[in-house]
Amino acid sequence: MALLELKNISKIYGELKALDNVSLHVDKGEWVAIMGPSGSGKSTMMNIIGCMDKPTKGEVLLDNVDISKESSKHLTDIRRDKIGLIFQQFHMVNYLTAVENVMVSQYYHSMPDEEEALEALGRVGLRERARHLPSQLSGGEQQRVCVARALINHPELILADEPTGNLDEANENIVLELFRQLHREGTTLIVVTHDPEVAEAAQRTIVLEHGRVAREIINENFVD
Amino acid sequence: MTKRRMFLRMITASLLRRRSRMLIALLSIGIGATILAGMVTIYYDVPRQMRAQMRSYGANMLLLPEDGETLNSEKLANTLSQFPEDALVGAAPYRYVRLDMTSRQQSFTTAGTDFEQVLKTSPYFSVEGEYPSGTRQVLVGKEIADTIGVKVGSSMELTWQPAVTASTGDPSDDWQPGAALAGSAEGFGGSMVSVTAKLDDEAKISEITVDASTQTPEYGGRTAEDKPFLKQFIGKALPLEMGGDIDALTGATVTSTAVVEALNTSHAAAAGAQPRTVRYDVTGILVTGGEEEGYVFMSLEDMQSLTGEDKLDVAELSVSADEEQLNGYVENITQSGQGVTARLVKRVTKSETAVLGKLQALVFLVTVVVLLLTMICVSTTMMAVVSERRREIGLRKALGASDNSIRVEFLGEGMFLGMLGGVLGAVLGFVFAQVVSVNVFGSSITFQPLLLPITVIVSMAIAALSCLMPIRRAVAIDPALVLKGE
Repeated sequence: MALLELKNISKIYGELKALDNVSLHVDKGEWVAIMGPSGSGKSTMMNIIGCMDKPTKGEVLLDNVDISKESSKHLTDIRRDKIGLIFQQFHMVNYLTAVENVMVSQYYHSMPDEEEALEALGRVGLRERARHLPSQLSGGEQQRVCVARALINHPELILADEPTGNLDEANENIVLELFRQLHREGTTLIVVTHDPEVAEAAQRTIVLEHGRVAREIINENFVD
Repeated sequence: MTKRRMFLRMITASLLRRRSRMLIALLSIGIGATILAGMVTIYYDVPRQMRAQMRSYGANMLLLPEDGETLNSEKLANTLSQFPEDALVGAAPYRYVRLDMTSRQQSFTTAGTDFEQVLKTSPYFSVEGEYPSGTRQVLVGKEIADTIGVKVGSSMELTWQPAVTASTGDPSDDWQPGAALAGSAEGFGGSMVSVTAKLDDEAKISEITVDASTQTPEYGGRTAEDKPFLKQFIGKALPLEMGGDIDALTGATVTSTAVVEALNTSHAAAAGAQPRTVRYDVTGILVTGGEEEGYVFMSLEDMQSLTGEDKLDVAELSVSADEEQLNGYVENITQSGQGVTARLVKRVTKSETAVLGKLQALVFLVTVVVLLLTMICVSTTMMAVVSERRREIGLRKALGASDNSIRVEFLGEGMFLGMLGGVLGAVLGFVFAQVVSVNVFGSSITFQPLLLPITVIVSMAIAALSCLMPIRRAVAIDPALVLKGE
């Protein structure tokens, strides 16, 4: 069953076609990687999937709702309810502790619950670092907090933008292992990356080039 | 945990953990609030302070007896009791009597007064020597002192001529058979000539005594002794006609005329009233540059024991109040039915009102300018805060914060700062006002409890207003910026 369906979407900035008639189908529970060089339209696609931008043409169905025509206010609501975001630069609120950063996500979604936030930090192995400020955490730890923050509201879809781009190999493995866990639990994952190793961890890789889907690779060696 | 608690937690964390930036915003609000609180305090305190200062310009209200009434100590005390205690700076009673200095053939207007009160109502009086502090002491105006050559430490004899009259009204009513009459009129050089006379059974003059001791002995003074001159009066009925009934004494026309005039205006003499002469020590010479230099001053008690009567001509009041209040007091006094009227010394009250109005306008203007500057400063700081926190705002929006959440968060931070700054400002402002007051006016001020909430509310409002522009900018931030790996 499709959680996300892009139907012939295009995004045109003046003369530039950032996305040119792209279609994509992601099933519930699927783990998909999106690859491509700079300027291939990765970011544009990510913005559209993340409900932060709208396509010039085409339809975007998220959980069977067409979000391509929604107002930006509605897009905010949809993003908050359905999507967990993970960023390359982590992006933590630098004056809030780890657990407070997780709670910010709860705050906008529904109700802050410190216990639940601490549990989520426990899942990424940072329960004892809960009272630390971002400046007291390593990059890997920060990204793990961000993973906890992304999954705290039980989103339908976790959208990760270069999640390991700023991490060393050890931390990269920790994050990928967390993704595997989430996948096993049935969370849908879309990971935008240009790191082949990260892409290979996914079930399927979409390669974008010049705003089009250049090819699709099914990962034969995918270990569940 | 409720949303509200999380909201407060985020705001306090933002303020406490990002100290340096927020300190600047807090400082600007705090300084603004300080000046605001200080200025408001001064604004409301200036009239009180300045009025106290301006009372040095002299009395601003006069109490006078109504027509046909007399003023005395008791009536004055009753009238003064109508004033609030802190409004009445001073009240100096005056009784003016013409006293003769026989040895110099001069007579002076002498004022009986309360020197303690004079110090308050006429602080500009300058005395060489000292104010009288005991009985039988006088303060002599500089003009008189120069004329008769008295100095501090010398003494002078002053004579009170008994009120020639015991009654008022038409003098001819008193010219009854057997009456004892007394009268006085201005003789040579403005000095008084007194005459007493007795009427016989036919209401004709049977006895006459002239006191011309104030006149030049060789000329006018002779009228008292010159038998042929005095004899003319015997057997004549009043009124007399100069040149017709009486011929002037050669070389003493003015004094002669005064004698006739004194008889023509004479009333029944007060029974038993005798002239009294007392020797007074001069304790000080009064220098004012004004008409007071032509007066002799003594204590009201001395005046009363000399004249034997408790009577006041006027009381000068120095009242600390604005024009409206003063008019209210005047109204009350006039309506109190004591037979006392009050008048404002317009020259003093008008200029006081004008000066205070200008001063308050100035303070108000400065306050407005300071508040505007504070707003600009806070707004700039918050603008910088927004640019600094672009990524955080983008992140919050990406995490699902609505535009309204962003508005509320920034407004919350701004108003929290406003509250802190307001409390800080109210306290510092009071200190500021206190310092200004002590240094400029030389007196302290009392803390107005209402100042705290007012300052806090105004500071919060200013902070909220200052946040409007920065908030618009914050709301416009695109959440997608967090994805671009900026």
